[in-house]
Amino acid sequence: MKKIVSVLIWVAISCVGAGALGAIALHRNERISATWFVLAAACCYLVAYRFYSAFLAAKVVALDDTRATPAERNDDGRDFVPTNKWVLFGHHFAAIAGPGPLVGPTLAAQFGYLPGTLWLIAGAAFAGCVQDFVILFCSIRRNGKSLGEMARDEVGKRGGFIAQLAVLAILVILLGVVALVVVNALKTSPWATFTLAMTIPIALLMGVYLRFLRPGRVLEASLIGLALVLFVVVAGQWVAESAAWASVFTLSGVALAFWIIAYGFAASALPVWLLLAPRDYLSAFIKAGAIFSLAAGILIVRPEIQMPALTKFIDGSGPVFAGKIFPFCFITIACGAISGFHSLISSGTTPKMIQREGHARMIGYGAMLLESFVGVMAMVAACAMQPGVYFAINSPAGVVGSTPEAVATTISGWGYALEPQTMIHMAHAVGEQTLFNRAGGAPSLAVGMAQIFSSTIGGERLMSIWYHFAIMFEALFILTVLDAGTRVGRFMVQEMGGRVWKPFGETSWMPSVVMASAFVVGAWGYFLYQGVIDPFGGINSLWPLFGIANQLLAAVALVVATTILLKMGKLKWIWVTLLPMVWLIAVTMTASWQKIFSTNARIGFLSGANALAGQIAAGKIAAARIAEIQRTIFNLRLDAVVTAVLASMILVLVVEALVRWTAILTKRSEAVLHETPYVATRWIAGAEGD
Amino acid sequence: MRRLAEKIVRALNLLWLRLREWCGDAAYERYLRATARRPSAAVVSPEQFYVQQLERKYSRPNRCC
Repeated sequence: MKKIVSVLIWVAISCVGAGALGAIALHRNERISATWFVLAAACCYLVAYRFYSAFLAAKVVALDDTRATPAERNDDGRDFVPTNKWVLFGHHFAAIAGPGPLVGPTLAAQFGYLPGTLWLIAGAAFAGCVQDFVILFCSIRRNGKSLGEMARDEVGKRGGFIAQLAVLAILVILLGVVALVVVNALKTSPWATFTLAMTIPIALLMGVYLRFLRPGRVLEASLIGLALVLFVVVAGQWVAESAAWASVFTLSGVALAFWIIAYGFAASALPVWLLLAPRDYLSAFIKAGAIFSLAAGILIVRPEIQMPALTKFIDGSGPVFAGKIFPFCFITIACGAISGFHSLISSGTTPKMIQREGHARMIGYGAMLLESFVGVMAMVAACAMQPGVYFAINSPAGVVGSTPEAVATTISGWGYALEPQTMIHMAHAVGEQTLFNRAGGAPSLAVGMAQIFSSTIGGERLMSIWYHFAIMFEALFILTVLDAGTRVGRFMVQEMGGRVWKPFGETSWMPSVVMASAFVVGAWGYFLYQGVIDPFGGINSLWPLFGIANQLLAAVALVVATTILLKMGKLKWIWVTLLPMVWLIAVTMTASWQKIFSTNARIGFLSGANALAGQIAAGKIAAARIAEIQRTIFNLRLDAVVTAVLASMILVLVVEALVRWTAILTKRSEAVLHETPYVATRWIAGAEGD
Repeated sequence: MRRLAEKIVRALNLLWLRLREWCGDAAYERYLRATARRPSAAVVSPEQFYVQQLERKYSRPNRCC
């Protein structure tokens, strides 16, 4: 009887999910409620978790609860700590959920809601969750080894080296791009700049409290910090209204870029307890609060989706970024469906804290489903605003013009009605001077969130507060990624440099700390500066570069996972990682090829550079702008080289893996697994945490 | 009614415990329990533990994009 009820429940969930997906896919020329998106996503995730992840756990990786995990074997209360599965789920989710699933879907909304939503759901279920889960499993079986170490052991020395280089490359590009998102959200906005600037003294205060007054009392310090942050969000309005203070906090894109570069350097070089860690605590609490509030807001307000299912920009002429759905929708969505960076978390702290192998399914697969749901919510928030407003916020001046009239005329000409007055009113409602030319996704997401929040609490009166709360939330945790990433990059550079000159590898030696920090900050700072001065807003060239780097790392992780499954004798089930790997390689290679060689100057870096060089040669560029345009030409060519290097790295790794696989399949080489030997668990099944 | 109240109190206690574990408030207590099982291990003060724990945590990728 119980079984029949269970079957009926799952049939019902599947039918509701299929119906909701059908409604989203087939709805045309009428507005559709966001409820359908929530229903479709939730039902698909439930079915994927219940059936596909169970299949992966039982048949593919064969999780074994009788086997002691690294946390049990090495329990030292520091690195190896057996942790309750719900607590670890929270840790893991807080680590993997960054700005990517918010910004990527918002940018991809330029194709309409359909392509992005479908990829967010399907990509997560069949690729992203699989990657996170299988890599977590592999690392658990290898005493918590990192992706690079596993690549070296299982694929080959070259594989390990490529994985390490890929991590550094993605880190540098990622930090440059996310910093650009913050700059575009804060420029000429005294309210937002003040609010974010004030989070630095608040974090310092928390740091001193946690270090000297009440060591390790994170909850207390975070509550104090949270109250202060909410106060400065409100106080930002007073600053914006004061002529004297507003001028202090009204900064250009270039000035903000230099402030952020200086901040990144300070956070990397200063003691970690002073600035970086307290900011991270603050960010984790605000992130959790804002994501749950957005979910609740969408469920309560049930906004109507105003963006069409497909826009005219599926032809590749999009104003936010150029390129067709394949491959650019997938490159742009990135983290919400599959993120290579997650494989670093899955082979980092989490495997050292997991209590039982069986928990890997919920933590690896389940946390990624939740991240994908965040992406769907971002898509809803972006598509719930008028398409004209969305394009006005996200399109660079180089595409739509720089006056309200020019922007409105261009966007209305695309078929998305927009009055200049609408944008002026919108900017006024959210407490900004202007919302034009804010490419990067953060401001449009903040407008979407503010509309949803203000429909729940406060109406238009609180719209400006909600908008700046959303901007602060996005910028705060982007800066957390920035400072934590810079510090990790510093350690990687010190480790690599230490192989050449030993003293450089000492992580507490100040000259080495300063040099390595300056190197990492200089690398991402260059990409940031390049984006800020780009006449097309920077996002058009840098976000695809970030997407390629991120998906490249995911391909590296899937190559490692496929090799391990092959060595485990799981040839029958190898498609679970092989198919997403082939898909990612196809996406990454096509995107790389188009970004380098496309003859469309808005897509191809080289043709873009050549077009600008042609304009200089033809005398079409004013003498005053020639130096700036020449810099842009250099940057475009540099981007082409970076893309080519990234694509070459994946090709070398794939060839290396293919050679290894052929040798194993033809029995020319023995399939040696580098798992730690089996040790039986001392814990009884069904104990706390199960 | 009393049983329900007890259940609610127990659930809230558990939630509080998990929240402290999640945010790191309970890390030092957990560390002391682990070192108690290894009598040879030297025990560090809460201040030292806090700083050492942060140094380790932020030396490897721990925040994603």
